[in-house]
Amino acid sequence: MNNNNFLKPLLFVGPHIILFIVFILIPSVYGIYASFTNWNLIGDPVWVGLDNYKTILTDTDSTFYSQFFNGLKNTLLFVVFSVPLLIIIPLLIAVALEHKDLKFTSLFQTLLYIPGLISISAAALVWSLIFNKQLGVANNLFGSEAVWQTTQPYAWIIILIITIWAGIGGNMIIYRAGINGVSKDLYESAEIDGAGPVRKFFSITLPSIRFPLIYTMVMTTAGAFNVFAQPLMMTDGGPRQSTTVLMMYIRDLAFSHGESIAGLASAMAVLLGLVILVISAFQYYVMNRNAA
Amino acid sequence: MFKKIKVSKYLAYLFLIVVSAIWTIPVIFGIVTSFRSQTEIVNEGFRLLPVNWIVDNYVAILENTSSAPILQWLWNSIFIATLHTLLVVAVISITGYGYSRMKFKGRDFLFFTLLAISFFPNVVNLIPSYKIIDILGWVNTPWAMIVPGLAGMGNIFLVRQFMRGIPMELDESARVDGAGDFTIYAKVILPLIRPVLIVCGLFSFTGSWNDFLWPVIVYTDVDKMPVTAGLLLLQDIYGNYRMIGQLMGSAILAIIPTLLLFFFAQKYFVSAINLNSGIKG
Amino acid sequence: MKKGLMILFASLVFVLAGCSGGDENTIQFWTPLTGEDGAYMDELVDAFNETEPEFEVEHVVTSDMYTKMYTVLNSGNGIPDLSIIHADRVTSFVKQGLIEPMTGIMEAQPELNTENYLAEAWEAGNVEGTQYTVPLDIHSNAMYYNKDLLAKYGVEHWLDDNVVTFDEMLSLQGQLEEGQYVLNDALAGWVVLAQIQNLGGDIQQDGAPAVNTPEMEQAIGAIKELADAGLMTPYGEDGYLMFQSGNVLFSTDGTWSSTGHGQVEGLNFGVTNIYAFEPTTFHNRASSHLFAMLEKEERTDEKEQVIGDFLEFIRQNSLKWAEAGQIVASTEVIESPEYDEYMQSFFTSTPEQEESLHIYTYEHYPYVAEAIDTYVGDLIHGEMDLQQGLEEMQKFVDDKVAEGSLDIENAETEETTEE
Repeated sequence: MNNNNFLKPLLFVGPHIILFIVFILIPSVYGIYASFTNWNLIGDPVWVGLDNYKTILTDTDSTFYSQFFNGLKNTLLFVVFSVPLLIIIPLLIAVALEHKDLKFTSLFQTLLYIPGLISISAAALVWSLIFNKQLGVANNLFGSEAVWQTTQPYAWIIILIITIWAGIGGNMIIYRAGINGVSKDLYESAEIDGAGPVRKFFSITLPSIRFPLIYTMVMTTAGAFNVFAQPLMMTDGGPRQSTTVLMMYIRDLAFSHGESIAGLASAMAVLLGLVILVISAFQYYVMNRNAA
Repeated sequence: MFKKIKVSKYLAYLFLIVVSAIWTIPVIFGIVTSFRSQTEIVNEGFRLLPVNWIVDNYVAILENTSSAPILQWLWNSIFIATLHTLLVVAVISITGYGYSRMKFKGRDFLFFTLLAISFFPNVVNLIPSYKIIDILGWVNTPWAMIVPGLAGMGNIFLVRQFMRGIPMELDESARVDGAGDFTIYAKVILPLIRPVLIVCGLFSFTGSWNDFLWPVIVYTDVDKMPVTAGLLLLQDIYGNYRMIGQLMGSAILAIIPTLLLFFFAQKYFVSAINLNSGIKG
Repeated sequence: MKKGLMILFASLVFVLAGCSGGDENTIQFWTPLTGEDGAYMDELVDAFNETEPEFEVEHVVTSDMYTKMYTVLNSGNGIPDLSIIHADRVTSFVKQGLIEPMTGIMEAQPELNTENYLAEAWEAGNVEGTQYTVPLDIHSNAMYYNKDLLAKYGVEHWLDDNVVTFDEMLSLQGQLEEGQYVLNDALAGWVVLAQIQNLGGDIQQDGAPAVNTPEMEQAIGAIKELADAGLMTPYGEDGYLMFQSGNVLFSTDGTWSSTGHGQVEGLNFGVTNIYAFEPTTFHNRASSHLFAMLEKEERTDEKEQVIGDFLEFIRQNSLKWAEAGQIVASTEVIESPEYDEYMQSFFTSTPEQEESLHIYTYEHYPYVAEAIDTYVGDLIHGEMDLQQGLEEMQKFVDDKVAEGSLDIENAETEETTEE
């Protein structure tokens, strides 16, 4: 009987665990192992113990120390500004789309989903043309004299614009699916009680989609920590490396033209992973507690 | 009261129209740019409509069939993404059921440990991952694209979150009627999570479609590549985009299949309402 | 539904079954030549295969070739028989033991020798007396000029000696129409590297990277002066597109851009050397596509034979490659009258021109170039103090060299113990 208690769940979660071990656990463990080595990606890694971590975290003279902390600071800036927008805007859209007898919802939804499908290089090119001082509209419209790509805070603004433009579709449809699961009876009885749209949103919609909401919060944050394509394409990390995020430094260390410095890159990645873990665990804990 | 609904309805319209317009203008600009010549792009700048509509960019993309068989790539992508998506939906629904509706010792600990591990940024993981694919003999085969993604935790996390919102009383009453776990999974839970499964399927399809580094590593034959990786071969190697119109054109061709899928799938993740009635959030 | 899945799986198995093989009977040839370049190379490969060699060459274009190379070298499986690598990788690849010498191939094909190629391209593959590569081309930094704008500002005579100088450009200060510029900042890092040669400097001293040097300071300082004078396209703007739109006199991009500029109707342009301090001392920082054989045990002698035939075929028939805008490395091609029709023939028109092409082969050049590329924009546009920038760049390279070196030392000790 006891045996059976374990066997049945194993049938459900076991196949995935095997896949997980082969395709995620083993490579990840190897990545963590690499962070304790000196490695050029080709030869065998050479064990150096905590050297990489010491360099990154304590050697204040080192380029890698300043790269890590500058990259982390810029990544955090990106997370703080992008995540709330990536949650709130799609939520507002999903709620608006739920409105009774609204027409063309499929059309609105599709239009808002399209940007996320466009390859980042093409998207970056479109936005570069839009923000191009000579050819574009942004400067003409706003009458700004600055070149956005190389002037703060505009450099961050264009990175955020392209991120949000391309990034809301996923959360939007999660909220749509979530709100659809809410019983219509609830709304109807609330209406009979004379509840307005705002009150319905806060007392019915939000609590009903709390689990998907936790999910989007955690995953959007983790995704934002991994950002690199948008700054790389829009500003190339400038001006003065003020938009160079940690993932850009990590990738440069591991995969740029010179001999790869993959051990150090892995150590930075592990540290970034730890930051992501702590923050997501905190988010999950706080939101779950409030939701309960 | 009646008025209130009307006002809020117009507000909703206004909001959606404004947002959609802002979101769509760059897309239209991109599409239009793909119909413009390089000469016009560099001289005219931001114009919503081309002075001269040309299809040369598309002709250039489609006619280069030896080194860039774009139709073959599209087919490869459809094949890979479809199979991948079907398998993902099967794996995540079963696994999500296990982690949310079955009770076993260390269940949540196991789940969060796996989730935590999957949060580590994969940078050098490419090297061991390739080795594993090599050992399995999957280099240069679609398996290398289809299977590894099934291990991901993101969709399982989402499905688990949705399943937690379904009251346990449903399972219990089914159990009273003599149903086992497989019956409950198939007959009770699966219909209820259909919207989120469709969402996950869509994510998997899009994700598989947009993955461009991994296919470059695991494929050697140009003919077998999926379209996103293949299109990278059209861009030149110096970082200078020589042909803006062509880049736009190829990006637009690449999104058509996913867009069509989205258009049809969205009917299902919003039409599940009836199934859900009677369930309190 | 179930039936559909079965069919899907069955077809998949079928697809998989058809996948194996191929590698054994062909020369796997990897290149990073995406875009049109790849199509030109395809034509060359097809032409060679029509000569019915014992093994056909299979050209594989890879958008992320070096990452792919690392993965196969690491796993030891699927290593290509032949590949094209860039000149700046050679020294590092040799030191890491990743490529094999061309010695055997050169013995079998006597025409593959230093006499028959541009010296700079051939030498790029020579590490401590051993030849590791055979060159395909040189692709160089080049300066395009807008003929109409030169005429408009009456400065066509700048081109008389084929070298535009800093002073000449500075003389236009304050005379430009609003929205027009003398030069853009495309490939600014390459331009800096040319100026270092013009000033007689180098990027290394006794094998150690030398970035914070008086020459570097002077080179970047002089370019900054052009930017300060309002002659350079503003920081962050797309100078390449601005040249194509006819608002910039000079574009410092690459030989390969001629086809791109050629697509713009009404853009009346020509090519010359990168600007310099003196008309007599000028350089163009260049790189080269080189044929190389990655270390691979199971490469048979028969295959090497065919690789030799292929390289000899390319040496004789690579005129096609000129269409990609590159300076072909084979002297036989360069000396043919048809080659003169290509714009880039300018760079091999005289011995002095040939010598202006400079390829850096210093082992740690990639780190130096990375440092320059990271900082050059901020420095020439005055976003950052020059002295501070130079110090950070030097530190950047030194730290990277220090981190990367441990493996090499380790690999070397392993080798000696084996011997």
